[in-house]
Amino acid sequence: MFGDFFAAIGDILTSESAYINAFTFAVFLAFGASGEWVAEKSGTLNISIEAMFLAGAFAAAVGLDRSGSEVTALLFAIGASLLVALVQAHMSHNLAANQFVVGLTLNILVLGLASFLASELEFTTTQSDTIAIPLLSDIPLIGSALFDRAWLFYLIYAVVPICWWIVYRTRWGLELRASGENPQSADVSGIDVNKRRRQGIYVVGITSGVGGAYLVLAAVGQFEDSIVGGRGFIALTAVIFGGWTLRGTIAGCLLFGLVLSFRLSLPGLGYELNGDLLAAAPFLVTILVMAVFAARVRPPNGLAQPFIRGLK
Amino acid sequence: MVADDHSSGTHGAVAGSSDPAAAPQRAARRRAALRLDGVTKTYGAVTACDRVDLELVPGRIHGVLGENGAGKSTLMKIMIGLVLPEEGVITIDGDRVRLEDPTDAARYGIGMVHQHFSLVEPLRVWENVALGETGKLRPADVRNRVGEISERYGLDVDPDDVVGELPVGMRQRVEIIKCLRRDPTILIFDEPTSVLTPAESEGLFETLRQVVDEEGRAVALVSHKLDEILHATDEVTIMRQGQVVDRVVTADTTASALATAMVGRDVSLRSERVALGVVDTAAEGTEIPDTHPEDEPTVLELDGVTIRGRDGRTLLDDLSLSVRAGEIVGVAGVEGNGQRPLGDLLSSLTALDDGEVRVRGATVAAGAAGAMATAGIGVIPEDRHDSGVVLDMSVAENMALIDAPAFQRRGLLQKSALRERALHLIDDFDISCSGPDAPLSSLSGGNQQRVVLARELSASPAVLVAAQPTRGLDVGAIEYMTDRLRRAAEDGVGILLISSELEEILDLAHRIVVISSGRIIGEMSRADADLDRIGMLMGGQAA
Amino acid sequence: MSTGFDRDQVEAISLTPGTHEHEDPTDFHAGERRSDGTPVHSRFVGIGETVGLYVVCVVIALALSALLVEATGGDSGAVFAALLDGSIRGPGRVGVTIGVAVPLLLVALGTIVATRAGLVNIGQEGQLFMGAAFATYVGTELAAPGPIVIICLMIAGAIGGAIWAGIASVLKYRRNVPEVLTTLLLVTVAAQAVGYGLKNQWLLLAPAEGRANRQQISEQLAENDRIPRITWFGNEFPTSVFFALAMTVLVGVVLAATVWGFRVRMLGQNPQTAHRAGVAASRYGGAAMLISGGFAGLAGGAMLAGGDFGNYTLVPGFPSNIGWTGLLVALVARQQVAGAVIAALVFASLRTGSGFLAATGVERRVTDVVQGLLVLALLIPPALLFLRARRRELAAAGDRT
Repeated sequence: MFGDFFAAIGDILTSESAYINAFTFAVFLAFGASGEWVAEKSGTLNISIEAMFLAGAFAAAVGLDRSGSEVTALLFAIGASLLVALVQAHMSHNLAANQFVVGLTLNILVLGLASFLASELEFTTTQSDTIAIPLLSDIPLIGSALFDRAWLFYLIYAVVPICWWIVYRTRWGLELRASGENPQSADVSGIDVNKRRRQGIYVVGITSGVGGAYLVLAAVGQFEDSIVGGRGFIALTAVIFGGWTLRGTIAGCLLFGLVLSFRLSLPGLGYELNGDLLAAAPFLVTILVMAVFAARVRPPNGLAQPFIRGLK
Repeated sequence: MVADDHSSGTHGAVAGSSDPAAAPQRAARRRAALRLDGVTKTYGAVTACDRVDLELVPGRIHGVLGENGAGKSTLMKIMIGLVLPEEGVITIDGDRVRLEDPTDAARYGIGMVHQHFSLVEPLRVWENVALGETGKLRPADVRNRVGEISERYGLDVDPDDVVGELPVGMRQRVEIIKCLRRDPTILIFDEPTSVLTPAESEGLFETLRQVVDEEGRAVALVSHKLDEILHATDEVTIMRQGQVVDRVVTADTTASALATAMVGRDVSLRSERVALGVVDTAAEGTEIPDTHPEDEPTVLELDGVTIRGRDGRTLLDDLSLSVRAGEIVGVAGVEGNGQRPLGDLLSSLTALDDGEVRVRGATVAAGAAGAMATAGIGVIPEDRHDSGVVLDMSVAENMALIDAPAFQRRGLLQKSALRERALHLIDDFDISCSGPDAPLSSLSGGNQQRVVLARELSASPAVLVAAQPTRGLDVGAIEYMTDRLRRAAEDGVGILLISSELEEILDLAHRIVVISSGRIIGEMSRADADLDRIGMLMGGQAA
Repeated sequence: MSTGFDRDQVEAISLTPGTHEHEDPTDFHAGERRSDGTPVHSRFVGIGETVGLYVVCVVIALALSALLVEATGGDSGAVFAALLDGSIRGPGRVGVTIGVAVPLLLVALGTIVATRAGLVNIGQEGQLFMGAAFATYVGTELAAPGPIVIICLMIAGAIGGAIWAGIASVLKYRRNVPEVLTTLLLVTVAAQAVGYGLKNQWLLLAPAEGRANRQQISEQLAENDRIPRITWFGNEFPTSVFFALAMTVLVGVVLAATVWGFRVRMLGQNPQTAHRAGVAASRYGGAAMLISGGFAGLAGGAMLAGGDFGNYTLVPGFPSNIGWTGLLVALVARQQVAGAVIAALVFASLRTGSGFLAATGVERRVTDVVQGLLVLALLIPPALLFLRARRRELAAAGDRT
């Protein structure tokens, strides 16, 4: 049994297509997770990332059908996702409604909206073409997984560094981190804490919009309302897995991406595994990983706590 | 002259142009850097500031003296833009201004060093210093500036240290650098010495002198401590119940005159004078309860207690102490040296990494929910909102937090019995509230404190831990609290008095232990207590 | 006002929107703001204004829904009429609505218990499914007189839900994993786990005869093993409604008037004070979590044996959002049991009403949108009232400076 397991892992690690599958999911997660990391640095545990992914995916599908342009579709996606972010941000960091309540409600609302509209509107999507980067795509095993991809995939090479840069190298990022670590002190220092937190949510809105567009246009090729299917929460746990470092978050995305890809990769490699188990595996692994790591990492001190001046 | 070219709100570098000869003059006609005229702020029925006038002059240290509740902190908040006054005019360098938020205040050259710092612990010193500024972030520049300022004022701070890893005294220096880096024309200090050893306080006052004499800034020193006002200021405004009651030149006044003005009547009760810091206990004797604990059994023993924080830092370090029945043991020390972990330990909030806690000889499971309370340790916590009360519950419920099961009949909580007991305690402890059903959050701080006191004492504890029990209370409430503590000791309760107010300890404790960096580094009976020695111990020097 | 913001742990977030009426007087110096015991800021808004605000928010939510329907080519008037017909006006529809309200109410009761303890359990959908699976197993396997089977299957349901919530509870108290995430993730796992059960005859799958090949369906509950249904004024509904109402009273009383409820509330409002006073978070919070999952499981059992959801069989997708909706019911009711009864009926109406939408040509999932918008809308007034009181105070002060 365990022998089989390790044999399977070994096969995956030596199979080019398995790498392609793993990175497909990992990059999807990483789009959301890198923005989520920014939001969490500012003090928001943003569970509406699920809704943001879905809104992005839906809008990208409709946008592509209506405009025929993938760039326009991406803008549609970012717009829709930002709209979710706007509601989340203002309800939780302006009206001071509980952020989990708002996030949960948005998840349910957007799922309802997307499936309602998907059945009311007619649209078709096509999968975008891959662009091979000369030389790099020839690297054995991982070359085509990383460098022979749709153009949306390559955006990850910009999104992750940008997220890091704005958080650690700009005054905005310093203020954002201060808002997440000690909102009272940040406020007394003259920082508009809730504004920084709202902006943190806009960042995850943008990146998960890109993630949604990537998912529907580059990874899957068509929209269905179960396209995100709880994977937003996995992106969110990647941040915890990473101990609120961007490097760790990306590592989490790679790990979870790999597990998510089992369902595609293993049957292709000739392994007959229980389908339900494979479908549940990413979630089980996520829970297990948190059980191991959650107690060891230190979250931002103000995470998930609303800030209202005068209330401690 | 520096003082007269402030109109832009900012001027040159930190050094500015200085004219040491001119600064110390009593330049009464000099233009005020900041003026408040008739500033009023009310909260509901309470007028926190009632037509307050205040003038801060460049080159002078201006004391703002008042009891807790006199309106000092509201006044400060108005000056740094955290609170908008309802009436009144604020003028800076002759221009009328409106301070909407701290950024506004900073723009006009007002900087503040907070009592509870405005620092973000996980960030580095330079990052904290850069916080709240505008423009492009240039880490190298900020680091250099921190180094320069640190050197100029002899503050000895490394820009790359993580603030959370610094001792409290150092954090205040970071706060001061953060403030000076903005080159303020007006500096406000809020109770600055409460986190400092006597020696560190001296250092701070020297820095203040440098800031006003050499650089011509205006400084406001807000405090409730007479000695520090007398020692460090040039002139002083005294506030009482939201109003300015007097304004004097410090050199022309005395401690008792200030105390009288501050409290509004002759201060005859000695505990009041202790609270104000004007009692010379050596000359006047103390209020130590007349018990003979040396013959009594030990009720509380801490034996080699060690606690490490989540980040691995040692909070309590092999700490041992004991309290006998009827004895008051004072734990003296500068804030942030382990008092809080000690209080948390005795509130069951922390587990031990090493050592043992014994109550009446029996070992208590540290950290287990309710273990300390069950063993007979009552606690008046340092921050009652953290571990003393539930704000959204009623007064009656708050009094029953621990012993609720005693009011259970046929599975139901007997609300009438709860209420009755509460009425009794409200009466007994003279708690001002609308009744037992009033939500605790509707009570004033002093009355919330009395609810805690009533609950803890009515449980007849073997030991009462009083952590900073008089902090934030006004003189009358302090009197009440100390009286209650003394009576409890006379009733045979062992009392561990953890306080950063040395006067309070000298006045009440049979025995004094000094805590520094989580260790007990000195112990003496009250009779042998020597201020100089305690001061040195508080600074961490074994003497 | 009930609970407000928790001041301590990431894990201990109250679900109630911000309603703290007091400021923390400790910032800077305790006591300076209020020395005579009066609250710092009075309520600026009267009852009328409060009601008005709620009405406006609900109207906006409904208007947005109507707009959506119109924009997609539907007739919003017809939609609302159909919703009313389907939930109340149609003959016998009140009974159907009541039947749907039962599991919603049960889920909401559990949510209220967890929330009062300061926990964020948002995995009721999965806990409910687990409960339904356990109930199915017992209900189809146990050979005993009907009433005993019914009682046993309900108990099994509660145990199933409690186990599922218990996983999150153990991870929270032993491993410091935020329950908000584990409960969520376990929803998907529950669906897969039950799916597995429905593929294996030794677990839940019905015997091969009487079902299509590869169909995932459980054996049907025997007629005697179903919750009896009664008919009042032409409306038929399951008697489990009385059970649910009894539970409502029980939860209300336990939370408000027992030592256990007192301690749970203490834990939810100030975990540190509670710990010092002898309330171990792992014990009381853990129990609250189990109860919360147990109620979701009970809802699963009631759905299975009640007859309003499917044909007394378990199939994939069985919970059909009842868990999520029940959670929303608790939120909208702002953690008050009485409010939960009303909210459960309203949300049940939306659901039963949606069954009549086919005639209007509008996809029935539109009611999910209406429901979501309604919840969002209902989150706004309490938050707005709270903040406005603060802002007015500041503004009133600002004008005269």
